[in-house]
Amino acid sequence: MKDISTIIFRLTLTCLVAALIMGGSFIVTNRAKQHNQQVNEQKVMLSLLGYSAAKPAPASLALHPVYRYLVTEQDVQTLGYLVPVAGGATDAFALVTIALDGKFVARHDLRLAPEKAEQAKERLQAVQTAVGSGKTIQYADQTIIVTDNGQRQAYLLPGEFPGFKTFVKVILALDPGFTVLGLEIMEHEEDPGLGGEIVQDYFKNQFRGKPYEALKKLGVVKEPLPDEYRGALEAGKTGRLGPEEVARIQEQYKDHDIYALTGATISSRSVTNGVKGIVKKFAYRIAFLDRVLAEQRIVVPF
Amino acid sequence: MHRLTMLMRALAVLTLALLLPVLAQADGLIAGKSFGNDREIVVTFKAPVDQAVFADPAHYLVYEESDPDIRLELADVRLDSTGKIAFLGFKEPLNTTRPHVVSMIDLPAAVTGRTVETFRVAKPYLGYLLSILVSALLINNFVFTKYLGLCVFFGTSKRRDTAKGMGVTFTIVMVVSALMSWFFYQFVMKPHGLDFLQIVVFIGLVSLTVQAVDTILRKVNPALFNAFGVYLVLVIANCVIIAVPLIMANNEYNFLETFMLALGAGGGFLLALYMMASVRERMELARVPKSFKGVPIAFIVAGQFALAFLGFSGLSLF
Amino acid sequence: MATDKSNLQLVVNGILNENPIFRLVLSMCPAVGISTTVMNGIMLGVAVLFVQVFSSCTISLVKNWIHPRIRIPTYTLTIATWVTVIDMVLAAYLPEAYAKMGIFVKLIVAFAIITMRLEMFASKENLTHSFWDGVGMGLGFMVGMMAIGFVRELLGLGTILGYDVLGFRPLLFFILPLAGFFCVGLMMGFFNYIETRYKRVKQG
Repeated sequence: MKDISTIIFRLTLTCLVAALIMGGSFIVTNRAKQHNQQVNEQKVMLSLLGYSAAKPAPASLALHPVYRYLVTEQDVQTLGYLVPVAGGATDAFALVTIALDGKFVARHDLRLAPEKAEQAKERLQAVQTAVGSGKTIQYADQTIIVTDNGQRQAYLLPGEFPGFKTFVKVILALDPGFTVLGLEIMEHEEDPGLGGEIVQDYFKNQFRGKPYEALKKLGVVKEPLPDEYRGALEAGKTGRLGPEEVARIQEQYKDHDIYALTGATISSRSVTNGVKGIVKKFAYRIAFLDRVLAEQRIVVPF
Repeated sequence: MHRLTMLMRALAVLTLALLLPVLAQADGLIAGKSFGNDREIVVTFKAPVDQAVFADPAHYLVYEESDPDIRLELADVRLDSTGKIAFLGFKEPLNTTRPHVVSMIDLPAAVTGRTVETFRVAKPYLGYLLSILVSALLINNFVFTKYLGLCVFFGTSKRRDTAKGMGVTFTIVMVVSALMSWFFYQFVMKPHGLDFLQIVVFIGLVSLTVQAVDTILRKVNPALFNAFGVYLVLVIANCVIIAVPLIMANNEYNFLETFMLALGAGGGFLLALYMMASVRERMELARVPKSFKGVPIAFIVAGQFALAFLGFSGLSLF
Repeated sequence: MATDKSNLQLVVNGILNENPIFRLVLSMCPAVGISTTVMNGIMLGVAVLFVQVFSSCTISLVKNWIHPRIRIPTYTLTIATWVTVIDMVLAAYLPEAYAKMGIFVKLIVAFAIITMRLEMFASKENLTHSFWDGVGMGLGFMVGMMAIGFVRELLGLGTILGYDVLGFRPLLFFILPLAGFFCVGLMMGFFNYIETRYKRVKQG
């Protein structure tokens, strides 16, 4: 009997000590970990817009997140856009609900500190309170509108779509006319060396500069990538071609379909279709949102 | 063998339980609905329907469940010769991994008493579960595709009996500990934000399961214990046993999905072990260079198996 | 029964005679799975080194209080604690490295090498010897991973540590994870061969 109690006592003691050590290191490292994630995302977004350590973003550049929610009341669904309100407190937000056919429904003002707005749970709670009970809220996605001195410069769209294996997470940058500024693959589980090559410059940079009209009917063609096009795509890394040369070649290929990766046609198709879907849906939605914001004279910083 | 029949029976009951809701038909107009090829939705009606109304795309409103404001464009709607099956063709390929909602509007009231009929089209859930099973078993086989559990793999794949014993023991411990990990994760760790304790808790549950199986087996079936007991200790040293709960937590699987994953993982391991043992038994009679005898040549054979399993990559059954 | 080897001999032992990958044939999972580049090998090797050293020292300190019947759970708990700590530290301070090795760091807890070493060495030896043995084992693991990574990176990508050496990619096959099987098997056979020749030379 004494044996068992010793065993239990020692085991419990060991567990407690272990838990203390782990809990301690968690508290110390958690904030650094989250900070790292945010810094990483910021860096990726800025590089998509063309800024880097060598060419830093101007101080007048601002990123405005717009969050989209799905509001269900009994059987009726509406879209809720959480937008920052300009000209006043930094914590002023408005939830603008728009019906499925694009007509304005309601506007709910709410206050939310910007740091809290970045946390999904806090944001959801604030939105739920603003909208009232009896309605279910579901988070859909987010868009970041980039302005320079108040003028729209670009849209940043984080998105996710099925790839060859599981999901591919991307961030897409569009200019105000919906031409692609850049594509960055954030997460994927494709085969290394085959589908995994979607992260390489010579694939993802093919999307750069594609105008909206070409994007709507973009396909994938199983032909070898022309050498001069490849040179232009990788110019950022190799630095072999000057910027005018790169621009000329890109202009030449801008309406062309995407050249598939060798041995990874399905991955190439998935990424192309995924990007197509994200851009088409976004273009459709932002038109309605802008119209409602103008009609209702909701002043936003973008 | 007795255990195998029990397992098969349990699986049959489970399948029936999952099929029942599908068999219980929706009342009203619709007898069945599914995705056709990647640009089609196929709707089966209970009785032949009016060509003029149901072959007109203007009466259909289709969207993905998560994007109700984006209406998917219909290219055409064809009815077959019996008038009972409608093929809805779309201009763009559908994303069949997401459930879609089809709404039939402006229906003449005489048909069903309602002017709007809405229903959901999605890939069958059972298919999804089985695809997790097949994925863990073949496509993402833990030994040959994910390269986990190799230490134990090379140790116990010398003889076919050893392989069978290790495989079966492992599957049982895998399923039990995966389910227990799921309970812990859902009801203890997630609500209290104790995610960082994942590793410790999961490996603790595995040790507990091994201990429990050890004790139970000793008492209930000593003969079985003599056959399999020795492998129980090796189960803990297997990387796969902690990989499965980690995957479950990462993907937020529910109970059934975890069960399928664990079953597939264990089954895949058993398969890998058995095949490897069969080959190694024959290799002992082959003329292998002295420096390669034993483990090195086993690695090369395993490499060839992995090459073969690469062929399953991208297999999509459901 | 304290070991009579000197500290340096312990370290060298871990790298050569009792190299965990090529001799003891333990912890093959990472050797096959992520030894695709030398950098990966170094990073995981460092992580394993830390876990091994910390665990060896911890167990060596408390070896007299561990009840024989709860040996294994205690080892497992110790390893799991240190792995969790390393996991969190990596995620916080080295995010790029963590993105690549994340899942394997969590799996260190199941590495047979560490549990074996605790059982065979740390629970019987004093603190200093356990420390140096841990270092030896960790270094041996890292050296083994680097060797495999060297072969695979050179033949698969034509680079070493990211520096383009060959200027072209010989065989893409080598960075596919399954080439790890072939590489490890061939290298093990090769080392066996060297050892038999060495013994023959010593004897005759």
